[in-house]
Amino acid sequence: MSRTKGPVLSRRELLQRGALYGGGLWLAGQLSFPEAAKAAAESSEPATFGPEDWKAVEAITARILPTDQEPGAKEAGCVNFIDKALAHEEKASLPLYESGLRGLEAASQRAHGAPFAELDAAAQDALLGALEAGRTAGWPADAGDSAVFFETVRVHTVVGFLADPKYGGNRDFAGWKVAGYPGPRHRRGGYRPEQVTGEAPIDPIWED
Amino acid sequence: MAKTEFDVCVIGTGAGGGVMIDQLTAAGMSVVALERGPALSLAEFDDDELRNPIRDRVFSPNQLETWRPDDQAEAEVGAHSQIAHCVGGTLTHWAAWSWRFRPDEFKVLSTEGPVAGASLADWPIDYDEMEPWYDKAEWDFGVAGDGAGNPFAAPRKRGFPNPVHPERRSAQVFGQGVEASGYTHFPVPMAINSQPYGGRPRCMYGGACRSYGCPVHAKATTFSIHLPRAQATGRLDLRAEAMVFELPVRDGKVTGARYLDAKGEAHEVRARQVVLAAGTMGTPQLLLLSDGLANGSGLVGKNLQFHHHPAALGVFDDDLRTYTGFETHGAFDDLHPSDPKRGFIRGGVVAELNTFTHQPIAFGLLLEPALRGEMASFGASLKDRLRAFPRTLTVAGICEELPMESNRVELDPEVKDRFGLPVVRITKRQHPNDLAMNRWYEKKIMEVVEAAGANRVVPGSRIPGIGITEAPQKGNAHNHGTCRMGDDPSTSVVDRWCRSHEVPNLWIADASTMPTNGGYNPTLTILANAYRVADHFVGEARRASL
Repeated sequence: MSRTKGPVLSRRELLQRGALYGGGLWLAGQLSFPEAAKAAAESSEPATFGPEDWKAVEAITARILPTDQEPGAKEAGCVNFIDKALAHEEKASLPLYESGLRGLEAASQRAHGAPFAELDAAAQDALLGALEAGRTAGWPADAGDSAVFFETVRVHTVVGFLADPKYGGNRDFAGWKVAGYPGPRHRRGGYRPEQVTGEAPIDPIWED
Repeated sequence: MAKTEFDVCVIGTGAGGGVMIDQLTAAGMSVVALERGPALSLAEFDDDELRNPIRDRVFSPNQLETWRPDDQAEAEVGAHSQIAHCVGGTLTHWAAWSWRFRPDEFKVLSTEGPVAGASLADWPIDYDEMEPWYDKAEWDFGVAGDGAGNPFAAPRKRGFPNPVHPERRSAQVFGQGVEASGYTHFPVPMAINSQPYGGRPRCMYGGACRSYGCPVHAKATTFSIHLPRAQATGRLDLRAEAMVFELPVRDGKVTGARYLDAKGEAHEVRARQVVLAAGTMGTPQLLLLSDGLANGSGLVGKNLQFHHHPAALGVFDDDLRTYTGFETHGAFDDLHPSDPKRGFIRGGVVAELNTFTHQPIAFGLLLEPALRGEMASFGASLKDRLRAFPRTLTVAGICEELPMESNRVELDPEVKDRFGLPVVRITKRQHPNDLAMNRWYEKKIMEVVEAAGANRVVPGSRIPGIGITEAPQKGNAHNHGTCRMGDDPSTSVVDRWCRSHEVPNLWIADASTMPTNGGYNPTLTILANAYRVADHFVGEARRASL
């Protein structure tokens, strides 16, 4: 009987749902309490990735949400978010990262004779596009499904960009500033009625 | 030694259980309430999006179910139902939409006649019997609304106890589209305080409401109203993390309940009456665990109904303030009355809502793919799509599904919970009428969003998990029908008083008793029905017949 357990989904299901998390009018998740926030608060040293993997994941995230007139995933520290999450709530995705990063390096070396992190942006984008399409020259047969790997990193990057900074990403509220989200307000007394109706301006939490 | 003998044992502490616990303790009865989930405190009600709706382990830490679309498919493990297993039940993080069903929604079979493939039934009661109990629920919960706002609403004897809330910018914009389309826009009645009421403060409009606990009790819940009131009587023994696994029977009556505590140790309580309020999933699960108790009709677990949700997105120029307020601030109901000329029967209300736009992760994971179209999934265009977060309007219907006997919950033959008890297996697909309604509504909703002035309109069926045609719903927040009420013991599980036809001291006070599901969020109906049942229960007890 085939059954989905933990955050790793089949490719069919992943692509069908388009996201690692959720569906329906609700977002069903699989994970537990914010241990990664504790880890991120305690240290910004790598908890999971070695130096090469850290560089490679940082480079992938930087192409998923690139830097433009505003900070992107690199400045927001999405790699730090992923590193901490893989040590805790997202632990089940760790083997996927290990095999995927191995595949990515093999493909990068074959096509360009250099690690992925050292390629130029256009070459990185082309390689990531091939991963997503599942058509990567030089992708080792035992490195798993490249599309599942890509979509997992993509979703983790988006989550790291937009989750509370206490989880180790969204540094200096970079992601919330890009999205135009002024921050959570339960602990700050919420919003005044004129802010709800649009008559008064919004004061983001980073201006407190 | 904990007390083991009670007048009444109530299993489940959500909407229905909360009313029963409150009303029966108020009438002088001793009540033991058994809740499978943990007791949460206000301190745990933060608005961290990753922790609450995304990872969803605050309110339902051990929820496990399986789902399959039909009898041939393999079942898939997950936490499919959008419910909460905790003290106070799903109301603890509900969105607080508070509707009365329309009169015809209690009489669908006589209104429409039989429909092939559907198990339509009339409720054994009608709207007039429910009206006083709707009124009581509205006043207990302090519903804020405009009694004259919705021309398609059920008739009411008086207005709402609280005035309407400020109209969120998104609802103003939506309202322009509604009015331009020739429909009537009105504020959704909400069980959220628009002014201090019942000893609870006014809403602070923090934005993160649905899927979150209210940190100040401005949202009316079992947890904020019924349970404290019952505890103040001194007659409630509330036991959290008490997973009932059996209802023992002697001489044709239930004697109480057997449950496992957090450590897995078994306990037994005895009670003269037992009220099941474990929800549309939990109540049939418990009856089936108890050797098919009260199942002479064979209908325990059958006729499971959700709602379906046709939807549309619109991207605008301005900040719509969707991250403020609560889930919905505006609706129209013109499409609700049934009209077979549309190619389907039944209908539902349509509202603007911030389910995916209250905070940005939900937007990034679910609305961004819907907005993507043929664009790349990463890079500059992805970042630009994230920038649409505060400018995106979501509109969705709460649409009635037709009941089907083959849609059901039963005990999974393989998958067990952490105690080794079989989990619920959901078998659920859509009736063709649902699909026809969903497609028709989606078009109409897109027209309204267009008329509101959106730069871009996207069908909601592009949101992953929403389109019911390609990806059938595995779970919903609105679950109904698995122990339907009726006058005929051969075609219903409980009678008009939600008392078992077969086991005289067994009652059910949750949405599992609803024969059909209406085109509105069900909670006010669950509450009103429980008040009705509780009143009868107390009357019977006073006549000493219980």
